[in-house]
Amino acid sequence: MQYLSGIDDHRTSTGLDNRKMLMWAFLGSDVMFFGTLIGTHLIYRNRNLSGPQEEILSIPITTISTFVLLMSSLAMVLALAGIQRGNMGQFRFWTAIVCIFGSIFIGFQMFEFTEFAAHYGLTPRTNLFGSTFLVMTGFHGTHVAVGILWLWSILFASYKGKIHQGNSLQVEIAGLYWHFVDIVWIVIFGVVYLIGAYGAEGRALEDAHHAARAVGIG
Amino acid sequence: MATEHVHVEEHNHPGPRQYVIIGAILAVITLIEFGVFYLSIDPALMTWIILVLSSSKFLLVVGYFMHLKFDDVRFSGLFFAPFLIMVSIAVVLMALFFNLTR
Repeated sequence: MQYLSGIDDHRTSTGLDNRKMLMWAFLGSDVMFFGTLIGTHLIYRNRNLSGPQEEILSIPITTISTFVLLMSSLAMVLALAGIQRGNMGQFRFWTAIVCIFGSIFIGFQMFEFTEFAAHYGLTPRTNLFGSTFLVMTGFHGTHVAVGILWLWSILFASYKGKIHQGNSLQVEIAGLYWHFVDIVWIVIFGVVYLIGAYGAEGRALEDAHHAARAVGIG
Repeated sequence: MATEHVHVEEHNHPGPRQYVIIGAILAVITLIEFGVFYLSIDPALMTWIILVLSSSKFLLVVGYFMHLKFDDVRFSGLFFAPFLIMVSIAVVLMALFFNLTR
């Protein structure tokens, strides 16, 4: 019954739990943080004087990593459903899956960054695309890494009896963070990868067409 | 009583079956996005298709996985107020400096 008083302590005059309110307020501020990074990337798009840009993005690989992150969100919500029903086995299984899928996503990102550096020489210093793209996706990856550490710690705490059905709100709050990381990637995948790379392909075709016309074969 | 509190919180939340259905819908939308990318269509049309599909995924995750559809409306306010400010600023900046379809 000790944790019962703990729960009541977190109720506010609004009738809402202050921990959950804090998390939503934090996510609201983080939205603006990522909005700045994505907006900056878009505004500086196609303004590179040299070096590679969006044509180097691999859509098939990123689609797979996006799918992995989406499925980790599904696993997260199944873990929450498990602990809310008092099914600790289900909670632990799905939380471990979230951590594994999150790690796979980080692996994809590391592969992508390494490929860009090795094959195209792209670093944050190369050009505007390198600076804005790597900072934006790097910060997202950092958020994913923090989420993985948070969820592992919750998983271990559950084995020590510190996380249980009575305080499942802690899992719900960690879940909110994890889903947020997912929705940020949904935006980045759509706006930066798909639209960006499609525009780059279109420009390449147009440039080839213009070049062909210039030499009289178009 | 602690369990009661938890049950009140989760009372309106969907169950695992609905979550799996939402997950499947998200996977299908991602597959459609991937397919659309390889169509030879006008970049402006492509942009709008991707924006609609991405927005659908965004709303599904926020509404069902993050439970905003079922939770207190003040949580939605805490999230969507800064979100709308961010989107407004981004749209204005892009209108001034950038063309999304090129």
